[in-house]
Amino acid sequence: MPDLGRAALVVCLGLAVYAVVAGAFAARSRRRRLAESAENAILASFLAALVASGVLLTALLRHDFSFVYVWRHTSLELPRPYTVSAFWGGQEGSLLLWLLVLTGFSAAAVLLGRRSAPSLLAWTVPVLGAVTVFFSFLLVAVASPFATQAAPADGLGLNPSLQNPYMLAHPPFLYLGFVGLTIPFAFAMGALLARRSDELWVVITRRWTLVAWMLLGFGQLLGAHWAYVEVGWGGYFAWDPVENAALMPWLAATAFLHSVMIQEKRGMLKIWNILLVVGAFALALFGTFLTRSGILSSIHSFTESSIGPWFLGFIGVVVAGSTALIVSRLPLLRSKTRLESPVSREATFLYNNLLLVAFCLTILWGVAYPILTEALRGEPVTVGPPYYNFFLKAFGLPLLILMGIGPLIAWRRASLRGLGRIFAWPLGAAVLSGVVLLALGAGSSIPGLVGYTFCVFVLASIVLEFVRGTRARQALSGGSWAGAFAQLVGRNRRRYGGYVVHASIVLLAIGVIGSSAYDTTREQRLQPGESIAVRDYTLTYRGTTQERGPNAVELRALVDVERDGERLGTMRPGKNSYLAEQQVSNESAIRSDRLNGEDLFLIAEQLEPGGPVFLKALVKPLVNLIWLAGFVFVGGALIALWPDAREQRRLALRYGRHEALARA
Amino acid sequence: MLAVFLVYTSIAGGTPQLRPSELNGRTTEVALVGKVVGRVTGDARGNGLRFRLRDVEGTSAVPVVYRGSVPDMFRTGRDISLKGELKNGTFVGKPGTLVTKCPSKYTDKKQS
Repeated sequence: MPDLGRAALVVCLGLAVYAVVAGAFAARSRRRRLAESAENAILASFLAALVASGVLLTALLRHDFSFVYVWRHTSLELPRPYTVSAFWGGQEGSLLLWLLVLTGFSAAAVLLGRRSAPSLLAWTVPVLGAVTVFFSFLLVAVASPFATQAAPADGLGLNPSLQNPYMLAHPPFLYLGFVGLTIPFAFAMGALLARRSDELWVVITRRWTLVAWMLLGFGQLLGAHWAYVEVGWGGYFAWDPVENAALMPWLAATAFLHSVMIQEKRGMLKIWNILLVVGAFALALFGTFLTRSGILSSIHSFTESSIGPWFLGFIGVVVAGSTALIVSRLPLLRSKTRLESPVSREATFLYNNLLLVAFCLTILWGVAYPILTEALRGEPVTVGPPYYNFFLKAFGLPLLILMGIGPLIAWRRASLRGLGRIFAWPLGAAVLSGVVLLALGAGSSIPGLVGYTFCVFVLASIVLEFVRGTRARQALSGGSWAGAFAQLVGRNRRRYGGYVVHASIVLLAIGVIGSSAYDTTREQRLQPGESIAVRDYTLTYRGTTQERGPNAVELRALVDVERDGERLGTMRPGKNSYLAEQQVSNESAIRSDRLNGEDLFLIAEQLEPGGPVFLKALVKPLVNLIWLAGFVFVGGALIALWPDAREQRRLALRYGRHEALARA
Repeated sequence: MLAVFLVYTSIAGGTPQLRPSELNGRTTEVALVGKVVGRVTGDARGNGLRFRLRDVEGTSAVPVVYRGSVPDMFRTGRDISLKGELKNGTFVGKPGTLVTKCPSKYTDKKQS
């Protein structure tokens, strides 16, 4: 069994090396047959990775503790779903998952690319192969998941805090997103190597980028929700290096998704786009490196491991290689058009890009700061949440307002008078809501108040766009309003899908502002029978209960909750003492209000049976909009992704000529 | 833009991260990283939790007193970090800054 796994990985490595060498030679000397055989090697490498993954999965399910990996990450009594999730619970397994997803995506890109962009594929294949070489080499030579030993009776088990449904989904989503960014990178490099200056690679990879970006975004929200529900400190994001590691490529990909539209429409920003796609890919690698290398300490656990230097080396190769390639192709990349006015659609896209990239770089600076200061001053200096929160406000608020301005402004050149007319409604709504919010007492946080007025402005401009489009469509073709609306969205999926994503970001902003700028915290020691008041809630501590669960003793404080004299129920924060692992875990209690999206969050500390409790109570207004935003986000991204026959025909017309030329 | 945030970080400053052996009587705010050794006494919500923190690899240790919330994973033998400053030979922690690092047995990335 382990031999089969090892052999499959060696085969995968061999196929990838072949794809690089044969693919590059074929592309250089324009040999069609050889190029096809290199493509087939990519397809076959997926099968090899599949076999290797099958071996590991079988070993996990059979509790075969002769596999060091299985012994280290599972145990006999571990429930079945978590036995499966142990696949990506450790370093070697998660690298294998990377390889599996990478080869799977590469195979799909090859199959799809054969139809839509055969000429672009020739140089893309060796790039895909090179990335595969790196990961399969790591798995073969440095961190093998198939190391064996004399089988012990039982395994070491999985950390209780990972025995949670979120941990089944959160890591794979992030990996799918990280790895997905490889495909646009490979096509961009493929286009440069082939000395092409057209936008075909952008068009071909638009959906790949969107999918990777959607999965990465959704995966991060899942992680945030896990932290909120399970870790129980009352927050959902702490600017931890590992959280930042996932945020940075997402920000770079967001910038990329916007700026490629300029390249598509106006042929501008070619170099910038390639830099962004290289950046997004390098940051995805950097993210994997941070979580796996042990270079930074954070609340997330790291192992000091042997793969760190390899990763750093590979990131260096990727950055240096792509930079050299870009420099050598600079004459090709000069754009034929220029920015005509600082007040235009393209200009707002540009501002959006600068802000996103600046924010991404600030985070990178913060993450790398301890490493840099250790190198320069001899002692690591860390920057904390205040640093990041400052820049979140400094760059996030302008980004928010741009989201309202950008979509309404004309391409090329917009007149200031025209702007006044367009923005009258959203501006009015924003000012009015600002006044109302101020009267309601939102002035306690100025950034919060500014943020909320911006949110109203953006939402109003999005609604305005939908109304205007529907009205125009209805005037054109008659019929019902609903029909006109469906037609409008169906015929302009990218545009209106994008607006829905914008709306989800506004929801996210409302949730984040509400729960961070307008939250209330109270903590106090309570004897049984005593109460405290938080906002309009009254909490009364009634006593404790203790039960024996399947693998833990569950101690709970009983807290009666009242609001305005009305009894809302009993909440049960407490702690679990896990017997086998000898670990205590805090179990917070959360009460969500469906009407206003507010959470009451209780943490019971220093709880002893029958004794007093140290109760920490947090009221988090609107926090549930953050989770709602996740679903709206995916919905919007799916609308923008959905295949559109009309668009395909248009693209075929536009690029068919290029393809015919390239094939001749 | 770059210059602005460089200046900002150097003024607002970060917190230096030190091992107990590197404290050397320094009394400004630092983040102390080490291993909890010996008995843990006291009450984090009363007079303060008291323990000794030693270099993860080394022998020099410093007494620590800390008030505030304590992570689930905290106990003797764990690697932790907390912010605070040295006062009369005792490292006084800042509430809410105590973070545990996980035993290396669990190599997964998401843990608290």
